[in-house]
Amino acid sequence: MNVFLREMKAHRWGLVFWSLGMVMMIYSGMAKYGAYEAADESVAVILDQIPGAVQAVFGMTGFDLTSAAGFFGMLFLYLAVMGAVHAALLGAHLIAKEERDHTSEFLYAKPASRSRVLTGKLLAGLVNIIVLNMVAAASSFYFVEMFNKDEPFGSDIVLLMIGLFFLQVIFFAIGAAVAGTSHKPKSAASRATSIMFGTFLLFYVVNLDEDLEFLKYFTPFKYFEASALMTDGALDPVFVALSATIVVLAIAGTYRAYSARDLAI
Amino acid sequence: MNVFLREFRAYRKSLITWAVSLAGIVGLFMALYPAFASDIEGLNEMLANFPEAIKALVNITPETFMSVLGFYGYLLSFAWLAASIQAMNLGVVIISKEVSGKTADFLMTKPVRRSEVVTGKLAAALAVVLIMNVVFMAVSYLAVAATGAEFDSSTLLLMSSTLLLLQLVFLALGALFSVTIPKIKSVVAVSLPTVFAFYIIGAIGDVLDNVELRWVSPFRYFDPAYMITERGMEPEYLLVVAVFVAAAIVATYVIFAKRDIHTAV
Amino acid sequence: MELRMNVIETSRLTKYYGKSRGIVDLDMTVEEGEIYGFIGPNGAGKSTTIRTLLGLIHPTSGSATIFGKDITAFGPQIRQEVGYLPSEVFYYDDMRAIDLLRYSASFYNKDPKATEKRARELAERFDLDLRKKIDDLSYGNKKKVGIIQGLAHQPKLIILDEPTGGLDPLIQQEFFHLLKEQNAEGATVLFSSHILSEVQKLCDRVAIIKEGSIIRVDQIRTLLENATKRLTLEMAAPVEESVFALDGVSDLAVTNHTVSFLYRGHVNDLTGLLARLDLVDLQVEEPDLEEIFLHYYQKEE
Repeated sequence: MNVFLREMKAHRWGLVFWSLGMVMMIYSGMAKYGAYEAADESVAVILDQIPGAVQAVFGMTGFDLTSAAGFFGMLFLYLAVMGAVHAALLGAHLIAKEERDHTSEFLYAKPASRSRVLTGKLLAGLVNIIVLNMVAAASSFYFVEMFNKDEPFGSDIVLLMIGLFFLQVIFFAIGAAVAGTSHKPKSAASRATSIMFGTFLLFYVVNLDEDLEFLKYFTPFKYFEASALMTDGALDPVFVALSATIVVLAIAGTYRAYSARDLAI
Repeated sequence: MNVFLREFRAYRKSLITWAVSLAGIVGLFMALYPAFASDIEGLNEMLANFPEAIKALVNITPETFMSVLGFYGYLLSFAWLAASIQAMNLGVVIISKEVSGKTADFLMTKPVRRSEVVTGKLAAALAVVLIMNVVFMAVSYLAVAATGAEFDSSTLLLMSSTLLLLQLVFLALGALFSVTIPKIKSVVAVSLPTVFAFYIIGAIGDVLDNVELRWVSPFRYFDPAYMITERGMEPEYLLVVAVFVAAAIVATYVIFAKRDIHTAV
Repeated sequence: MELRMNVIETSRLTKYYGKSRGIVDLDMTVEEGEIYGFIGPNGAGKSTTIRTLLGLIHPTSGSATIFGKDITAFGPQIRQEVGYLPSEVFYYDDMRAIDLLRYSASFYNKDPKATEKRARELAERFDLDLRKKIDDLSYGNKKKVGIIQGLAHQPKLIILDEPTGGLDPLIQQEFFHLLKEQNAEGATVLFSSHILSEVQKLCDRVAIIKEGSIIRVDQIRTLLENATKRLTLEMAAPVEESVFALDGVSDLAVTNHTVSFLYRGHVNDLTGLLARLDLVDLQVEEPDLEEIFLHYYQKEE
């Protein structure tokens, strides 16, 4: 469909740029692991004993830093942040740009309903997200293997990448919803990323204080936390359901609001 | 003077939002200190048993980690992150606003030198930054004092002043971007990935205390532990900040004086 | 007498932006095959009406049909046969002109090859290099792109919002020829403007909109009869106001050697008066619509 193809074309260089960034980040992270192989068994024992709060401060919560996969798990948070920033900006941008650049008088005077245009845009966004995810997955496999010491890691990475995908879709949907529902599309990107930033901070807060654990439902970074995923070996169904609900509500809201509101000219 | 006033006034609402948010971050994290403090009692003995490698790895000493200032040092990285995003937004907006908002035709044809325009806008940005820092220092002091723990005020002042330095760096960087990148349609799409990239680079390097990479990310120029023990900042990084900010600002003036102003139409 | 269908029909169409009025209880009918002008001062509600008809904004109350179909329920369908040129054109900077035209064509159910052929013909006619990037085009050239994307698919209804802004006179002429051709082939044209001369050249009927409502709908002939000219004279020597006491002279202002006034009436009476004067310079202007009508309606109020 024409809107889909056009958006894909318009975003191609951005996608390349982000993909490169992702690859570089994973490489440099794992390279650091390679340079500092803390290979001692005793180290693992001690690391285990460090109190939760301390672990939280250093982002080490629940990882076996001596294995390549364990170290990668710690890196995962930053992968997630990158994915989240990309997704939130993408979602907001795709919807808001017509109004921001004043091309809405061209596009929406065409014989296509707003929903049809929205579908094309959202699909293009989804494809971009999937591509970035694939790039992250491929680089993760490649670079973890490069520094690995004969330990299995395949299933861990697959699980983490699925978690990453969920996170991306959540923030993409939020970005789209913020742009679609608001009457000030120009500031949509800022608002969507503020939300993302808030949940990012909340992630640390929740890890710092056990009493605040109930807040974990408010930050998607907790739904797909690397340490939990790697320990359980599976996704938590509650979080998966919660994610799906958020996404469905956000997207449905976007369709409804975007068709019903006036376009800011 | 008129440029300064207009820019400053336009930023009022945003300044309040950011100041409140930053104060919120400080307040929120410091409120968690009591829980943190009780959590890590008994860490002292454990620390004695840590092998050197691990101590070097995570850089924990009683003074730098378990004191209230140590905890404050931890929250600094989040404050830096938020403040840097704000500062970079400010810098990027300086010129790009006129172009993307199509007011370049208005402002740039007034009887005013280009350097005067830049000065007025930079001055307004600087005023915002200064106000933010006054708020930040005040809230930091109050929040830390409220925990009831003992601390050295001058060290706290020193630590909170790092926010100013980081904001200056990103303000300068943003301004440089705004005069070199031809068409910035979305300020957030430029500043967010940039700041987060530096943050992630800093975070990855931080865990492993990687010396070479310290120069790359401003987030690693100021080490809370160092500031607590040495009551000063490492001079070489202060120098880097000074040199970079000066160079970037000068470059901004020079480039802007020479370049063509393309309006949107 | 021909029974003509109404291409556009609005019924008490109202749009408020919060508390500000856009249009209020607007009733308008545009017949098939006519060129319908829509004139009024800035802020009168011309763009609001057009944007509402196109579904870019939603009416607060009232309704409208195009081709007999309700605009809210059948928007996309209706727009298959509509071509729109907005008052300010913005397109995607990263595209070339031909890319944008192809993208535009891809929305319509018409044969893409025929539409592209037509687009190229129009581009030649308007002297537009289709290979250029939108970003590199001057505003006038962007407007040409706008004209082509609005007409290449041969729509039955052409909606133009202050279309000639930014076009040089030669292109304007070419544009009017084109519109007349399309009209001769059966297209209906809705055309908003605040430039009386344009409206004079093209339209069959004209609606005057002021402060959100249609004040008057007239055949163009009637408007012409009421046309007012503004005269500015440079006198060789100062004269008294009484010299200009001619029927039809209004808004008279005499300052030193300069005299200006509005004149509405028989041209020969005017030229007779002018012939008796010692003039250094003479300027005859057709005033802005705003001037005429503000003046006209101020009198009425």
